[in-house]
Amino acid sequence: MNNRKMRNLFMIPYALWIILFVVTPIILVAYYSFFDIEGYFSFANYKKFFTPVYLKMTLSSFWYAFLITFFSLIIAYPTALFLTRTKHKQLWLLLIIVPSWINLLLKAYAFIGIFGKYGPPNQFLEWLGIGTKQILFTDFSFIFVSVYIFIPFMILPIFNALNELPSSIMDAATDLGASKWTTFKRVIFPLTIDGVKTGCQIVFIPALSLFMLTRLIAGNRVITLGTAIEQHFLVTQDWGMGATIAVFLIIFMFIIMILTGTRKRGV
Amino acid sequence: MVFNMERRTTPFAKMYLIAIFIILYAPIFFLIFYSFNSGGTMSHFKGFTLDWYRSLLDDKRLLIIVLNTFAIALISALIATIVGVFGALAIYSFKKRQTKNTVLSLNNILIVSPDVIMGASFLILFTIAGIHLGFMSVLLSHIAFSIPIVVLLVLPKLNEMQPSLIDAAKDLGATEWQVLTRVIFPYITPGIFAGFFMALTYSLDDFAVTFFVTGNGFSTLSVEIYSLARRGISLNINALSTVLFLFTMILIVIYYFLQQRSHVKTMGVRK
Amino acid sequence: MENNIIIKFQHVTKTYHDDLVLDDVSFELERGKFYTLLGPSGCGKTTILRLIAGFTEATKGEIFFDGKKVNTIPPNKRKVNTVFQDYALFPHLNVFENVAFGLRIKKFKQKIIEEKVKEALSFVNLSGYEDRDIKQMSGGQKQRVAIARAIVNEPDVILLDEPLSALDLKLRTQMQYELRELQRRLGITFVFVTHDQEEALAMSDEIFVINEGKIQQRGTPLDIYDEPINRFVADFIGESNIIKGKMIEDFLVEFVGKQFECVDQGIRANESVEIVIRPEDIEITTLEKGKIHGHVQSVLFRGVHYEIVCQDITGNEWLIHTTKKAFVGEEIGLFFTPESIHVMRLGETEEEFDLRLQSYSEDQTNE
Ligand SMILES: Nc1ncnc2c1ncn2[C@@H]1O[C@H](COP(=O)(O)OP(=O)(O)OP(=O)(O)O)[C@@H](O)[C@H]1O
Ligand SMILES: [Mg+2]
Repeated sequence: MNNRKMRNLFMIPYALWIILFVVTPIILVAYYSFFDIEGYFSFANYKKFFTPVYLKMTLSSFWYAFLITFFSLIIAYPTALFLTRTKHKQLWLLLIIVPSWINLLLKAYAFIGIFGKYGPPNQFLEWLGIGTKQILFTDFSFIFVSVYIFIPFMILPIFNALNELPSSIMDAATDLGASKWTTFKRVIFPLTIDGVKTGCQIVFIPALSLFMLTRLIAGNRVITLGTAIEQHFLVTQDWGMGATIAVFLIIFMFIIMILTGTRKRGV
Repeated sequence: MVFNMERRTTPFAKMYLIAIFIILYAPIFFLIFYSFNSGGTMSHFKGFTLDWYRSLLDDKRLLIIVLNTFAIALISALIATIVGVFGALAIYSFKKRQTKNTVLSLNNILIVSPDVIMGASFLILFTIAGIHLGFMSVLLSHIAFSIPIVVLLVLPKLNEMQPSLIDAAKDLGATEWQVLTRVIFPYITPGIFAGFFMALTYSLDDFAVTFFVTGNGFSTLSVEIYSLARRGISLNINALSTVLFLFTMILIVIYYFLQQRSHVKTMGVRK
Repeated sequence: MENNIIIKFQHVTKTYHDDLVLDDVSFELERGKFYTLLGPSGCGKTTILRLIAGFTEATKGEIFFDGKKVNTIPPNKRKVNTVFQDYALFPHLNVFENVAFGLRIKKFKQKIIEEKVKEALSFVNLSGYEDRDIKQMSGGQKQRVAIARAIVNEPDVILLDEPLSALDLKLRTQMQYELRELQRRLGITFVFVTHDQEEALAMSDEIFVINEGKIQQRGTPLDIYDEPINRFVADFIGESNIIKGKMIEDFLVEFVGKQFECVDQGIRANESVEIVIRPEDIEITTLEKGKIHGHVQSVLFRGVHYEIVCQDITGNEWLIHTTKKAFVGEEIGLFFTPESIHVMRLGETEEEFDLRLQSYSEDQTNE
């Protein structure tokens, strides 16, 4: 039928996109992971991944990602909760989101200045009499800046989940004699757990694969899976090993998505 | 800042929100503030100057990079919007839930995959396909990662449309094409705009993917800022960020009004 | 005569992935009449409309429009227009442009379009609303815009899928009247879908009672009300008392252990049948005058009449609508005329039913 013909015509560019830019790249990454640096087929990369060097890097990457997600969550949840109680909450939400629209590089660059030797925090420490400290290129600065960058991504899904709660639910809970804390623990939090899961998912996966911040803010002290991939592809040109790490990153990504498995996404 | 809060907002909540707002905005205003510093550093404000803006204007290389960035953003957003709208129409037209969900999952893969993986896999793809790393490879990548976003913004509008509208148009004599141009497109226009806009901002903001697939001699603003920042502080970047900040604000205002008009609840955070 | 037929279904069957939705449906619709498809939710009413309009294709059977087979003709090539259940007005166009949509597709001149739209809008009493946004229109007004949008194309048939179901009772009654008026003025065929039996009875020239993909009975509102062919129709068209009985001979039927005179014939002697007596056909009288006796169980005042439920000696419950009052616990007599007794054979199809009715008249002419 005419209808079907036209639909097929629409489909062509989109189908091409799926094949060329979604399916092929995944296959290519998997394919490349089986070639060593000399271009011979081997499982060497996989063996190498299970050596202490790479395992330690993976673990530390997970640890940083966990810390980033954790701090994002404990800061974002109250923010989202308080936001839902403001008047014009959509406008306030927009204001929270606006910084996330500013070019990431610029924000990272700002922190180079802020955390620098003569930045405001050090000036404050100086004034207190503690004296200048090395802030830039530390774990602290890395986690702080990462949390700063990811926080809007955590706030949004939680805000949406909270916002969907009918206010009658909270009224009903307090009406039934629940104190504020009990209301939160027994009613609000369980009902917004999906939003929390989504938020953790959108923060954790990118946090595993950060590479620009590790260079600019952590001064190469932190090596994440993302940094390792970038290093192998663009610096040492060992695409096979880079692809192998990418394969594992993809696997981790799927596991995380299944663990935090909700269909709804906040982005 | 004036907070209009309801009774339920406690002083603590107010303080907390204010603190969050300050922390979120401080770095941006910090940058802008020092862009006027004649001292040349991001500490000790010596005096007011517009020198950095002037030298920004004189920088031919940077100007070309800005033009490249915008060219890539506009072209990629345009193409991604066209492909994405037709993709959304295709998904919408699938009758079987199973097919719909499969295609949607494929659609979302690029949205959830980390930038590094996208960058690395596109790098392999372009190398194998023999595409020269530069304008073309960056453009193709930007189109590629913008398409799924357009689909996700257009599809809800299509789903929100009563199916009987299409029947009604046919009933009144419209051909398939007329149904598309006279009923469906006008209906989903807000979604199309939102999609185009999102694609634009994703492209303008992208660093990681571009970093992988750009060769020597071609650079976008993000990549340029990265290499400048690695060399240390230069107040040129501050001046640039002020300009970009204002530009982003303008885009946001436009987007906000588009949204208000269309009531799409698809406000998203950028990567 | 043949010329007068606008739509004809011949053994039309429709299945959705093995789900039988219409089961061998055949009927003919004449020009200029008001037809109603009546039946419970999911019985296939919308499906019939969609087949007429061309939104779906029949799985089996043939559909004729004005004598031509139209099974595979797309909807944009049929001289049929639909008023949708949810109106399906285009939200991005104003009232004028909604009504003008079909004319613009057919590339009429602007002047003619303006004329026709004006006329159509005045037909549905919406003159002066041209520039309104669809969002600013009330339910009843939207419905009239939808009707105007259909009639402006001057179709041969207008299909209306439960157009009144979203309206409140008062507006609904008013619109029923207006629709019927409109159909008379336009003189074109209306096919109206509803699952409200009162609406069907009030508006139609002819009613099709549908259940489970089959036409159970077709006829004028009076026919259907007075001579329901089976339990389903009797039940669906108004409230009824349905009692098991036995045909003794022509004009004599037995139920509740007694024999009663009736007007039915052509049924085998001693055949088990079902008796329908409408609640408003039963009168309350004294025990002596009553044909059967009942023990009053409940009395409900319904505004105009009382709704009384009583039980006879064999345990049947009787529903009675009357203006006379009775008291709970009272023994009363129930009276009904032979004409009020409708005898239904078990599992009789429409053809058999018609044949039997025909045979009566033949009998009478033979005598
Ligand atoms: N597109 C479809 N796919 C599968 N089944 C369908 C489809 N359309 C209708 N049906 C089924 O066909 C049957 C008849 O549907 P139809 O819409 O004709 O009912 P209806 O009489 O109009 O009911 P209502 O009064 O609820 O509108 C229903 O069981 C319905 O589930
Ligand atoms: Mg229906």
